[in-house]
Amino acid sequence: MILQFGMTKGRRSVSAAVFGFAMALMSAGAVAPSQAQVVDGHQLVKAQLIADTQHIQPGQKFRLGVLYAMYPNWHIYWKYAGDAGIPTQIDWQLPPGFRAGPLQWPLPEREKEPGGLEVFDYNNEVLLFTEVQAPEQLPAGPIDLGAKTNWLVCEKECVPGDAQLSLKLNDGGQGPGNESLFAKYAASVPKTGPPGYTLSLKPSGNQMVVEFSGVPEGSKLDFFPEPPENVVLNHGKQAGNSVVLSVDGGTALTQIKGVAVVQANGKTDAFEVELRPTAAVTQGGNVSADLAGVLQAIGFALIGGLILNVMPCVLPVISLKIFGFVSEAGERPDKALRLALAFSAGILSCFALLAAIVSFFRAIGAQVGWGFQFQDYRFVLVIACLVFAFALNLFGVFELTVSARATGGLAKLAAGHGYGGAFFQGAFATILATPCTAPFLGTASAFAFTQPAWATFLIFFSIGIGMALPYLLLAIQPKWLRYLPKPGDWMVRLKQLLGFLLLATLLWLSWIVGRLRGVDGMVELGGLLLIIGILAWIKGSFWTPVSSTRSRALAALSMVGALAIALGSYYFVTAPSELPWQTFSQQSLDNALQSGRPIFVDFTADWCLTCKANERFALDNAAVRQAFVQHRVVMLRADWTHGDPEITQILKEHGRAGVPMYLFYPGGKDRPPMILPELISSQTVLDALKTSSEAVANL
Amino acid sequence: MIIRNLCFGFGLLALSAGVALAGVEVGQPAPDFSLPDTNGQSHRLSEYKGKYVVLEWYNPDCPFVRKHYGSGNMQALQKEFTAKGVVWLSIDSSAPGQEGNYPAAKLNEMASSQGVARTALLLDPDGKVGHEYGAKTTPDMYIISPEGKLLYEGAIDNKPSTVLSDIKSATNYVKVALDSTLAGKSVGQTVTRPYGCSVKYAQ
Repeated sequence: MILQFGMTKGRRSVSAAVFGFAMALMSAGAVAPSQAQVVDGHQLVKAQLIADTQHIQPGQKFRLGVLYAMYPNWHIYWKYAGDAGIPTQIDWQLPPGFRAGPLQWPLPEREKEPGGLEVFDYNNEVLLFTEVQAPEQLPAGPIDLGAKTNWLVCEKECVPGDAQLSLKLNDGGQGPGNESLFAKYAASVPKTGPPGYTLSLKPSGNQMVVEFSGVPEGSKLDFFPEPPENVVLNHGKQAGNSVVLSVDGGTALTQIKGVAVVQANGKTDAFEVELRPTAAVTQGGNVSADLAGVLQAIGFALIGGLILNVMPCVLPVISLKIFGFVSEAGERPDKALRLALAFSAGILSCFALLAAIVSFFRAIGAQVGWGFQFQDYRFVLVIACLVFAFALNLFGVFELTVSARATGGLAKLAAGHGYGGAFFQGAFATILATPCTAPFLGTASAFAFTQPAWATFLIFFSIGIGMALPYLLLAIQPKWLRYLPKPGDWMVRLKQLLGFLLLATLLWLSWIVGRLRGVDGMVELGGLLLIIGILAWIKGSFWTPVSSTRSRALAALSMVGALAIALGSYYFVTAPSELPWQTFSQQSLDNALQSGRPIFVDFTADWCLTCKANERFALDNAAVRQAFVQHRVVMLRADWTHGDPEITQILKEHGRAGVPMYLFYPGGKDRPPMILPELISSQTVLDALKTSSEAVANL
Repeated sequence: MIIRNLCFGFGLLALSAGVALAGVEVGQPAPDFSLPDTNGQSHRLSEYKGKYVVLEWYNPDCPFVRKHYGSGNMQALQKEFTAKGVVWLSIDSSAPGQEGNYPAAKLNEMASSQGVARTALLLDPDGKVGHEYGAKTTPDMYIISPEGKLLYEGAIDNKPSTVLSDIKSATNYVKVALDSTLAGKSVGQTVTRPYGCSVKYAQ
C-alpha cells in the first residue's frame, strides 16, 4: 500500500513539471516569442487561448482550447497527419490542482496534395480543446492559464510555428466565454457512443477491410485511421459498403483505431472507434440471428456447461455443494431434492443475469467478452473476500447460526443451509465459473456474443442447464442419492480440506488483481483479507449463540473499531499529495537556483514511514500549501526508493546517511540551504519559509 | 452470399493491383532508374550494383530538410557512409514552379556552402522516380543492398519535428540500418513512417 505513493507521484510529476516550466518562464519574464510566420506579409496562423467561461467555479469543469485561424489555403494537421505533415501539439500549463482531459479533435478534412499524396488537415479555422477539472479550492484573485502549442502550417510549402499562449480568468468578468465557438467545434468532434450501424474489421494479407452494414443506401463512407507508430498506411478507399486500407510493407493490423465517417442525405456522422476482427461494433438488436448456428451453439452450451462442473474454478464450490447434499440427505432426504432445485435455480438465474448484462452493454455499444466482469478489479476484490470468508467458515474460525429471524446477510447466505443458501451457492458457483472456459464452451459463448439478445439468452441459459444437470438429475432420481456416502466425522476434515482448496482459488484471484492493479492492488487485497480475518475471528470468538449480551456488544464495538482503524490507515497511506512536486535532479536544482526563487527539496523514499508521515501531516495541509504558493517555492522531490547514486551523494554532502532530509534554499544564488530536522511540523516549515520572503520581495 | 463474397474478392484484387503500382517493398528489387545530376552527368541505379545505395528525397526549402542540413546532421551521415563505400544519392522531385525546384547551378551553390558529402544530387522534376518509389515526404529515405534489393524505407529518425535539438536525442534509423547491415547483421526496423513536407510533385 505504501507503494501507492510512488505510482501517484509518477503520474503527477508530468503536469507538475509542465507547471514548473511555465512558472519558470513567467518568473524569468522570458516568454518565448512565437516563431515569425509571416509569408508575403501575411501572418499564416493566429493562435489564441480561449475558454468557455470567464469565471471558473471551484470543483467544476470548463472547456479550454486553442483557436487557430489560418490564412486562406494554408492548413494545419490532425492527430494523424497522413502522408506528410506533423500533428498539431498543445501542452497545457495549468496551476496546481487543475486537471486537463484528453485533447478533442474536430473532424478534419481528407485533402489531396499534388502527386497523389493525402493528408488530414484543418483549413480556415479550428478549435482544439479539452475539458479541465478545477480543484475544489480555488486561490483568490485572477487565475492564469497557459498553453504552449506548435504546429506545421502548409500550403505549397510548409512553415513550422509555435506560440506560448496565456489567458487570465476570474478577473472580474462573470458572463460566459466563447460558448458558441466551443459548441460549434464540439459538435464536429467524432462521437464515442455506438454508431447506428455495424462496423467490422476483416484483415487479409496486408489489407484491412472496414465493413459498414446498416448504413443508408448510397452513403459516402470513409475511415480516418490513427495507425500506431511506424505503421505506414495507404489511403483508405471506399469499395461498396467497405473502406479498404492497406499496410505498406507489412501485414494487416489486427486492430485499428480511427474515425468512421458516414455521409448520407447531406449529413456527416463521425464516430471514434477501435476495431478488432472478431468483435463487431454494433447497435443492439440490429443483428439478425443465424438459426442453425443458434441450435448448434445450444448443444455445445449444454455439454460445455456440464463439463464446467469439474473445471478448477468451480470444483471447490461444487464439491462443497455435494457435501451439503450429503449432510442434508442424511437428515431429510426430501429436503435434499428441494435444495438441488434451489441450487439449480441459482445457477440459471445467474446465467440469465449475465445474458442481460451482456445484452445491455452491447446495446450501449461497449465491447464485452466471456468473463468480462473479471476485468473490473473491484468485482474480483468482492469475490476474493467472499471466497476467503467462506474458507474461514470452513476452518471453523466462525460459524453462522441459522436462526428464524435471519438477518439475511450475503455471507450468511453463502454459508447457509437453507434454500436461500443453496440458491446463492448456485449463483456463486456460476460467477466463479465464468473465467474458466471448458471444451465446447468457447465455441458456444463466442457465438452467443455475436447474436441478438434472445439468442444470447438462450445460449447462456443452456450453459446454465448443462451446469445444473447433475443436481437436476438428483432431484428427478432421488434414489441415486443412495450412492452418496453417509455423513459422519470425516465431514469436518473434508470441510477443512475444502477450505484449503478455496485458498488456492484465492491465490488465483489475487494474481488477477495483481495483473489489473499491480503490486498496490495485491497489497490492498491482502489488507482487505486481513481485516476480514480479524472481523471473522472476533465474531467467532465473542459473538456466538451462547455469549452474553455484554460480550456481544463488546464484539460489535471492537469490530467497528477495527474497521475504523483499517479505513484510517488506508486513507493515510493512499491519499495523493496535492503539492506540485517536480522530480529532483542536479539539473533541476541548478535551474531552480538560477531562477532565484526559494526551493524546497524533499528527500524521500516509498519505504520510509517517517518521510510519509512528515509529508502527510507537516507538508500536505492547507496552511503549508498556501505558504508554498505565496513564496513561489520551487518544490523538488528526490526519490531515493531505488537508491539513486546522485541522491546518495547529496545526502552524504549534507552529513546524512539516509532519508528523510529536507533542504530549504531561501532563494538567491549565494544563500546556503538550511537543513530542516528529520521530524518536521508545519510550523518548522512555515518558519523556514519566512526567511525567504524578503528574497522574493526583492525580485 | 456467394456472389457477394465473389464481388468482394474481385474488389480487393482490383484495389491491390491499384496499390501495387506505387511504391516499392522491402526485400523486393528496387526499380532501376536513370536521372541526371546537377552537373549534367547521368546516373543509373544498376551501375551501382555491388554497393550499398542510399536514396534521400530532398527539397532545400522544406523546414524538415533544413533541420538536418542546418544542423550538419545529414552532411555528417553522408560523410561517414560515403567514406565506407556507400553511394549516397539525393533526389529532388520538386516540379517546376514548386518549392525546392532550382536551376542546377543554384543547387550546386547550396551544396558547396553546406559542405555536403553526397555522391550526387539527382534531378527528377517530373516526379517519375519519386512516384515509382512512392516517396511521400522530404526527407524520405531508402537503402538498397549491393544485390539491388530494398533494405529500408521510411523516416530519417524517430523525432518528427523541425526542432534542431531533437536530432541529438533521436534514433537515426538510417545510421542504425547501415551500421548493422555493414556489420553483417540484419537491418532491424525495415519500414518506418516518413515525416516531413510533402514531396512537391507537379499539380
